[in-house]
Amino acid sequence: MRSAPPPRPIGYSVPSLGYRILAGGLRLLPLIIVLVGLPVAALTFLTTHGLHVPISILTVTVAGLAIAVLSTARYVLKPTWMYGPLSMAVSAVTIAYLLTFFFAATLDFGIPQHGISVGIGVEGVIGLLLAVPALAFAAGLVTTIEDLRSPRERLPFDYPP
Amino acid sequence: MSNPWFPPSRTPPGLYRLARAFRRVSLVLLVLVLVFLASAIYSAVEVVRSGPTAGNFSAAFVSNGTVAVSGDLNFSNNGFYPISDFSVHVRVLNQSLDYLGEGSFGPITLPSGAVQPITITFHLPVGSSGPGASLLTQDQVLNVSVWGNATYAYLIPVSIAVETNKSWGAPFADLEVSVGTPFSGGGGIEVPVTIQYENHAKFDESGTLQFSVVSANGPSCGGSSFPVSVPAGSGFDQTKDVAIQSGCSPAGGTLVAAYVTNGLTIPLPPEAIP
Repeated sequence: MRSAPPPRPIGYSVPSLGYRILAGGLRLLPLIIVLVGLPVAALTFLTTHGLHVPISILTVTVAGLAIAVLSTARYVLKPTWMYGPLSMAVSAVTIAYLLTFFFAATLDFGIPQHGISVGIGVEGVIGLLLAVPALAFAAGLVTTIEDLRSPRERLPFDYPP
Repeated sequence: MSNPWFPPSRTPPGLYRLARAFRRVSLVLLVLVLVFLASAIYSAVEVVRSGPTAGNFSAAFVSNGTVAVSGDLNFSNNGFYPISDFSVHVRVLNQSLDYLGEGSFGPITLPSGAVQPITITFHLPVGSSGPGASLLTQDQVLNVSVWGNATYAYLIPVSIAVETNKSWGAPFADLEVSVGTPFSGGGGIEVPVTIQYENHAKFDESGTLQFSVVSANGPSCGGSSFPVSVPAGSGFDQTKDVAIQSGCSPAGGTLVAAYVTNGLTIPLPPEAIP
């Protein structure tokens, strides 16, 4: 009696490095707009209207650039073993960025000419948001373990033929 | 023999599926949080746009040496989310920044779509001494601090503080007394006593103004009373001849007066007799 034939190996089709760099570069532009441009514009708008926000433009710019660049590197290096560690790095920087808001705890806005001050507590929302990079970090960790145990095992599913 | 219409299983390995599940849950959570944030911001803008509307404002003597000031606000929650632990506090200082009184409201929960009338009452001491004594006879600017706390959309604590100056109209503004020259009256010595003031308060005065003429040495020379019916914004100027004890000189003494209304006695600051 013959046993069942072994499953046919599944192929994969990884785009070339050049293509991935080009696509990553195109992807970087909207990321910088969303992570740096819009927050800096919002902070500048609030500051010019006399409202004080306890997060500096420098912090927003540096953190936004770091997340955008790491995310692009992760995209470019997705077929390699670096994908998992880079996913964890993006998540770690995002968690650190959100924690600066978390420890600021309250966004204070003042309108001195009207004697009005407003405080908005952000710790609840930031706490919810922190779960997002935490889950992404866990995904990166699992992918790192998978790549260590079975290199290229995921490629047929990430880059189906 | 494999069927060409049904290719071999493409079920991903366990670790791949686990990582993918983490990523998908993360993405769904991100979308949910962003939708929540967007709706909370839109909802908050609706609440701010509807704004609280001011209702009646009243003031009245309520117990000896105290004026109760009440203000009504109608607060509408036109947003999608409840406003919980909503409380409002008011503190009043006089123009020298001495503490006069405070009031508070809440905490309450305003469900979505609710319209909540809010009444805040605080008591100002207006006795003949203390930091509030001048409130009876001097118009002044009071420092009013209002602050409120609430939790919006279950997660977002909000605090608002407003510091403003409010003008206070004294119920016995510019109180002046004058005592004339003693003369022989019907049964003894009498002096004409004149009391004048303006009612700058927001309430009418109705009652009796009792007074006594006290000599510089201490004993009371005599006293009497005026019936008082002074609408808000009106003045009072009356003179009455008062019988005084023989040998008692009002010159250099004081006139001690009290406003009596509805069973309450409001002592006024003593006025020196020239």
